[in-house]
Amino acid sequence: MLHLISLAPFGHADFWLGVGIVAGIYSVFTLGLQLNVGLTGIVNLGQAGFMAVGAYAMAILILTYGWSPWLALPVATLLAMLAGVVVAMPSVRLRGDYLAIATIAFAQIVQSVAQNAIGLTGGNNGLLGFDASWQAFQVWMLGLLASIGLGDQDQIPLFVLVWATFVLLMLILQALQHAPWGRVLRAIREDEDAVAALGKNAYAYKIQSLALAAGIGAIAGYLLAINITVIYPGTYSPNFTFIGFAILVLGGLGRYAGVALGSILLWFVLEGARFIDLPLAADRVAALRLLIVGLVLILVMVLRPQGILGKREEMVLRG
Amino acid sequence: MADPIFAVRNLVKTFGGLRAVDGATFHVDRGSITALIGPNGAGKTTLFNLATGFIKGDQGEIEFEGKSVFGRPPHVVARKGMLRTFQITKALAAMTVLDNMMLAAPDQPGERLLGLARHPLMWRPRERAIRLRAMELLERFQLASLAGAYAGTLSGGQRKLLEFARLLMAKPRLVLLDEPLAGVNPVLGKQILAHVHDLRSNHGLTFLFIEHDMEVVMNNADRVVVMAFGRVIATGLPSEVRRNQQVIDAYLGAHGEDVA
Repeated sequence: MLHLISLAPFGHADFWLGVGIVAGIYSVFTLGLQLNVGLTGIVNLGQAGFMAVGAYAMAILILTYGWSPWLALPVATLLAMLAGVVVAMPSVRLRGDYLAIATIAFAQIVQSVAQNAIGLTGGNNGLLGFDASWQAFQVWMLGLLASIGLGDQDQIPLFVLVWATFVLLMLILQALQHAPWGRVLRAIREDEDAVAALGKNAYAYKIQSLALAAGIGAIAGYLLAINITVIYPGTYSPNFTFIGFAILVLGGLGRYAGVALGSILLWFVLEGARFIDLPLAADRVAALRLLIVGLVLILVMVLRPQGILGKREEMVLRG
Repeated sequence: MADPIFAVRNLVKTFGGLRAVDGATFHVDRGSITALIGPNGAGKTTLFNLATGFIKGDQGEIEFEGKSVFGRPPHVVARKGMLRTFQITKALAAMTVLDNMMLAAPDQPGERLLGLARHPLMWRPRERAIRLRAMELLERFQLASLAGAYAGTLSGGQRKLLEFARLLMAKPRLVLLDEPLAGVNPVLGKQILAHVHDLRSNHGLTFLFIEHDMEVVMNNADRVVVMAFGRVIATGLPSEVRRNQQVIDAYLGAHGEDVA
């Protein structure tokens, strides 16, 4: 029998934990997009920019200014949110496409600054060594894991951190969504003028939505930085946002939990496709993997245009 | 009735070379049902948009309850108590009828992030009161059975009713209705007019409405304001306005003579 798919790698817990970490980071990242795109109707194509602002601010505060991570993390998050407000103020008055262009321009600017402000960001060499506290914590946690016989699974601490962060943020966002605040956002998504005519300051709500998403992006940025132990411009490229959008559509617009399902589906198909055993050169297999992901995306959209958890009626009604 | 709730003076709005509103001056008496009529392109809807802050005037004055609202943004005008409907109904399609209603409540602390952060559960009792009031209004507008339906599934007439009921959630004192009867069947039209009279008589609301059906205007309005080419060409009782030669020439034409 010819085995097209070799099953051996599925036994590699380490490999799949790594995939789970990446899927989790993208899930956190995409929560912010869900808030903007799915629940406020703002097309934010600059989420990677906010992620970069947060991650760089965190690393610079720790490395250059010697701050403790406990101070650097909240301050960096606030800085990313401030960037959200600054980007939002002139641009959320723009509608649809124009707002999308303004936000993608922002992400591009952030990347250019990261590449060229070498004194601050290390340019294309990036920044290293900001994660000393995490490394120390990880060693301690691995010690605990060893005592229960899981000492060789050195990705478990980050895996737990990433998914705990996701669940916590998701619960907060869901609570906000079920509160009257979330109702105003959904109404803005439907018709901003109707909301304004009823006495709600739609402009202020859109700024809040973008600022919160920016803060969530920053948190995804910290997790990504810890995972690859270095911050350089390439990891925070504006393309990150587009994968986020694919996850958003796969999981379903307007459902926070859908973000996790979309991300897991996308990453497990993408990484699982590594193990399709074909007599092909490595670069061709790499191209084939993306092709398979594309096919899965098309298949989901044909079978469930509203995404895994999206509501079909809402999609139809919104036209 | 010498108590104007709303007044515009010498209001001007140009779009490029077009003077859409060209020095309009009139007022609306408190407690009245005032009709705003005029041919298409007279500037009636533009005037609504100016009054409620959706567009900004070039010159002139707009006063609500004695205070200027000229150039104020829509949400500020609405919070002061001047609420409007739109010519093309704005139902929030992918939200339920009940959510449409509850959204409009003006005093829900749970709509503010800071309030939520400080008192995460304080909004719940308020929410119950708002839901009760919303259901009461839906009952009165015969929409209660549709409370859980998406607003996007309602018929055109039901959407008009919903938009009207929703605006009442915001506790207005002056209501601007932009063609409330357009595309509405006669039975529903009568129902809407009955609500207008009831709200005026029993709740002290004031109405300014744009309408093209002269019979409706003559039978329901206390006062009529006639616009043509961006100006107010006549104001007065329905009986006075329909005999005004300028109004007949500009708008009513033979149709006006029929009514007279």
